[in-house]
Amino acid sequence: MKIKIHIFFLLLICLEIHITVAQQTTTIIGKGNLQKVNVTSSSTSINGQRTLTSIGFLPNYSAASRFLSQATFGSTYTEIQNVANQGIERWLDTQLAMPNSFRTQTYVQNLHQSMVDSLNIKNGVNTYTLNNVGVSNWHFDAAWFQGCMTAPDQLRWRVAFALSEILVTSRISAFDGNPYALASYYDVLMDNAFGNYRTLLDKITYHPAMGSYLTFLNNHATDLAKQTYPDENYAREIMQLFTIGLYELNLDGSEKKDANGHLIPTYDNDDIENLAKVFTGLSWGDVTYLGASPKNTWSYTLRMKFFGLDSSDAKKNTWKTNPRIVDGHERGSKTFLGSTVDPTASRTAMQGEADIQDALNIIFNHPNVGPFISRRLIQRLVTSNPSPAFIQRVATVFNNNGSGVRGDLKAVIRAILLDPEARNCCGDDTETFGKLREPFVRYMNLIKGLNLIATGGIYRNSMTRVYDQTSQRPLSSPSVFNFYSPDYIPNGPLKDAGKVGPEFQLLSSQTLTGYFNALNAWLINDDPIDYSVLFSGETYKPNQEPKFNTVSDYVLARNDKLPQLLDKYNLVLANGHLSTETLNTISQAIKGMPYSEDANGVPNTTEAFRRVRLAIYLIMTSPDYLINK
Amino acid sequence: MNRRDFIRQVGCGAMGSTTLLSTLTSLGAVNGAMSGSASKLRTSATDDYKALVCVLYSGGIDSFNMLIPLGTNAGGDNGFNDYKNVRSDIAIQTNTSLLPLNNPRCSGFRGQPCNYGSYGVHPSMTGVQNLFNNGKLSFMANIGTLIEPVMTKAEYQSGLKKLPLGIYSHSDQIMQWQTSVPQSRDALGFGGRLADLLHASNSMEDISMNISLGGKNNFQRGKTVAEYSISNNIDANNVGITALPSWWSNSGIMTDLRNNAIDSLVSKTYANLLHKTYSSTAKSSIDSFEVFKNALIKVPSMTTTFGTSSIEKDLQAVAKVMSVRNDLGAKRQIFFVNYGGWDMHDNLVNGLTQRLPNISNALKSFYDATAELGIAENVTTFTISDFARTITSNGLGSDHAWGGNTMVMGGAVNGGRIFGRFPRMDVSSSNTQNISFRGNFIPSISTDEMYAELALWYGVSPYDLCYALPNLRNFYSYSPNTYPVGFMNFNGTTISNEDKPEGCLSY
Repeated sequence: MKIKIHIFFLLLICLEIHITVAQQTTTIIGKGNLQKVNVTSSSTSINGQRTLTSIGFLPNYSAASRFLSQATFGSTYTEIQNVANQGIERWLDTQLAMPNSFRTQTYVQNLHQSMVDSLNIKNGVNTYTLNNVGVSNWHFDAAWFQGCMTAPDQLRWRVAFALSEILVTSRISAFDGNPYALASYYDVLMDNAFGNYRTLLDKITYHPAMGSYLTFLNNHATDLAKQTYPDENYAREIMQLFTIGLYELNLDGSEKKDANGHLIPTYDNDDIENLAKVFTGLSWGDVTYLGASPKNTWSYTLRMKFFGLDSSDAKKNTWKTNPRIVDGHERGSKTFLGSTVDPTASRTAMQGEADIQDALNIIFNHPNVGPFISRRLIQRLVTSNPSPAFIQRVATVFNNNGSGVRGDLKAVIRAILLDPEARNCCGDDTETFGKLREPFVRYMNLIKGLNLIATGGIYRNSMTRVYDQTSQRPLSSPSVFNFYSPDYIPNGPLKDAGKVGPEFQLLSSQTLTGYFNALNAWLINDDPIDYSVLFSGETYKPNQEPKFNTVSDYVLARNDKLPQLLDKYNLVLANGHLSTETLNTISQAIKGMPYSEDANGVPNTTEAFRRVRLAIYLIMTSPDYLINK
Repeated sequence: MNRRDFIRQVGCGAMGSTTLLSTLTSLGAVNGAMSGSASKLRTSATDDYKALVCVLYSGGIDSFNMLIPLGTNAGGDNGFNDYKNVRSDIAIQTNTSLLPLNNPRCSGFRGQPCNYGSYGVHPSMTGVQNLFNNGKLSFMANIGTLIEPVMTKAEYQSGLKKLPLGIYSHSDQIMQWQTSVPQSRDALGFGGRLADLLHASNSMEDISMNISLGGKNNFQRGKTVAEYSISNNIDANNVGITALPSWWSNSGIMTDLRNNAIDSLVSKTYANLLHKTYSSTAKSSIDSFEVFKNALIKVPSMTTTFGTSSIEKDLQAVAKVMSVRNDLGAKRQIFFVNYGGWDMHDNLVNGLTQRLPNISNALKSFYDATAELGIAENVTTFTISDFARTITSNGLGSDHAWGGNTMVMGGAVNGGRIFGRFPRMDVSSSNTQNISFRGNFIPSISTDEMYAELALWYGVSPYDLCYALPNLRNFYSYSPNTYPVGFMNFNGTTISNEDKPEGCLSY
């Protein structure tokens, strides 16, 4: 049934709204977009449109919190106020304009240097150097946490994490134990999070962490004498996982079908074998021949170098008068995805780097990239099952940002977070909207939501517990397939409805209790971060191991004040989405706990602490929090 | 009347499901005794227990460097020279370092002969050699994902045969090895479907038949059964949700209060499907903790020792869970273990030398542990992987291919044999099993055929094979004493004739 509603605003613009009414809702029009509502205005004023369509209107606190849960790792009450006061669009544009403010590699190096300096001072020597003092993975984790806790460009941090789950490399690899490799790669994602996807493809293709992870570093042209052929790993995964996927897609992300109703593969093994020949001739940035070993720890931070010829025999065996010099890069035309690199086979091996750029262009310009990447980014930030229309709107922006530029991630991120489907918080599609919050994001939600502050501004967090208990942490994926597949379908109601739930792939009885028990340590045992020593005998620095401060909540621990306590954390942690029933259950449990006051009405701190902490624990374990709608 | 109707009519309330199941089990035992051997009578009477252990080598193990032809007779069985020539720098360079397998009688398959007669295993796999030569382990040669038989490269290219989705893609092939439904990306797992059929054999509803040491996986996912994940730290204190601190006053009461709240939050009725999916997963896990915890307290100390690699720890944990199977009410169990790190595009030779001993030692220790528990005949372990790898080198390692070699181990296995058709080690056009210049082989045995044999042994009736393995009819139909591959020793095993109500599955 369609009815017409006439609404008169103070702006004196007459608007006609066509709305399909299924049931009465109390939605405030303008707070976020309503779906299935067509808005027309008798005025040409853009403000009138914007008031109703979305973004000009100031969100209420819940809507602000919900937006921040998609755009950041979580927020404090102050940040929610901030967004509510300035509006989502302004906040977003401010964030998108901020430069990357933190370099994890620099921070790792500073940590490393401080170890060197301290050891020299402590032992009264000057023999310790960056080269002989070891570093480990956790220095990257400490750098990551430091940056995420202090950097103002919170949107960039959230998007870079999403990208790290699409363009996957991991410490579970040959560079386990090298925080410089992790940091350098992460900085590429941070630097390019709002840049162009084509540039990002170039940067990761030439990054030695990727080269090592997907084994095309030192990849060699076909050598018939040795019966060896180019490594196919990167050729396959750059297409399957980073750009186009296995089947041809429509702009809205749905799979195309041929005349017989079958899916249409984007490539076959011949394409892989051809593209593998393209990615030959790349080696470490600081070596002198193809096939060489990395020089040192920092080799992992230098852009890979191209070697058209393989002169390893000459370089390794300088005594040889007639060393074997062969092509390092494979010459000749290579056809894949219906296009051909170097079609006239005119390039020399030394000119082979042009092959790589041509191939990246062919891949980048494949029509699948827009819908493929858009769907993945929407899934990481907003919802597991975006509608085809949502994907199409974002993919359209990927294909053209409005100024004729393809692959502009800034425009794509903006389109995702301002899309009606992302902003509509109370619409009709609540049955399948949302996502299971990622375990690592839950951890950061808690850290941010409880406003953890190190008084000296330095956090020493190796983030071991969150990984040990939930199997998630930046750059710790078990394989290039990320912690979960974007197409994972859990059993039960989602499966019956034909919907995916990627994050459920990481949810087992083990990780479920792991998360509960980690919360117990963070909140109940008051141990929110994992402090590690930089070198044995280091003086403990308690201000680098901050605890949550919930003292100001103690006055809300009394039975009659509990609703205020729960409202506060409902807003900060759960976007105000805890149902009355959930709130009642939690309230009931907390009321069963001891509570007393002294003669002046001051709560007993031990009892109040326990009430507040358990209330937050129960919020963080409730399905209403865990599913972010 | 099938058993489910029978249970429904009698009513569990009146009789008690445990009693009923024990009655049925002893009937089964009598059947077994009448048709079978003395040893069958002994195990049945005391312990009608069967378990399958699926060991996944995720990443695609280079199984043509695990099982290697040994012959060096030019003009005759020249397998090793063929192998060394085609694998170049990634070959094991000397045949004398390989560990020979005694008279493996490589069987060939589907009317096609095996290409070589004599074989060995990788120099580091002493445990596997020992198991093989003692008749406790067999290989399947060139097995892989198939929807229907594909005999030659010409058939493969004809467009007339249905082929698996994403033949060289990790995500597809690792999934298809677990589902055995290569035409689908959302099929249930083989282990899950077995559990759907047989979960009523076990008496405790809260404890899943399918126990995973590898977290969530496709293999164990059924229509009604989900995996229960445990860690390899088999310690009762390590199970479930940590109690509130002991220094809290009334810590026990407070913990109950908290647990009730948690329970109540996941028991509410939710409208959103993500909420529903989360809460049902959480609820079933929480319900299992207590039972599991209590059972683990009873794990006996065992003399068999295991090494410290994750596969060894995982299989040790499996043995420990098996040791308390009665406390878990389990007559049938399916375990899943994942040992990854095999995607060796790089560093293949050293990588295999480092990791294959762990596999070999793990299998040997695990077999010994089941023998110590007196259930060696009741446990069958098999290995799977995404795919085998190209037999040619990329200079440092090998790339993704298709058919490969797997192992099956246990007291009921027809051990010391190689089943299937080991491919000729060359990439010339005359090799009709090969479909790429890199050396990728069309599988001779299908995963369906291996799984069907395991299913029949595990207790699935021929009627229900079409639920357990939707594509099986393309390869095999049951007739008494004719088995899909032949690697199980069915002497004394009664093939079930129970027709479960699940019906057939099709994808």
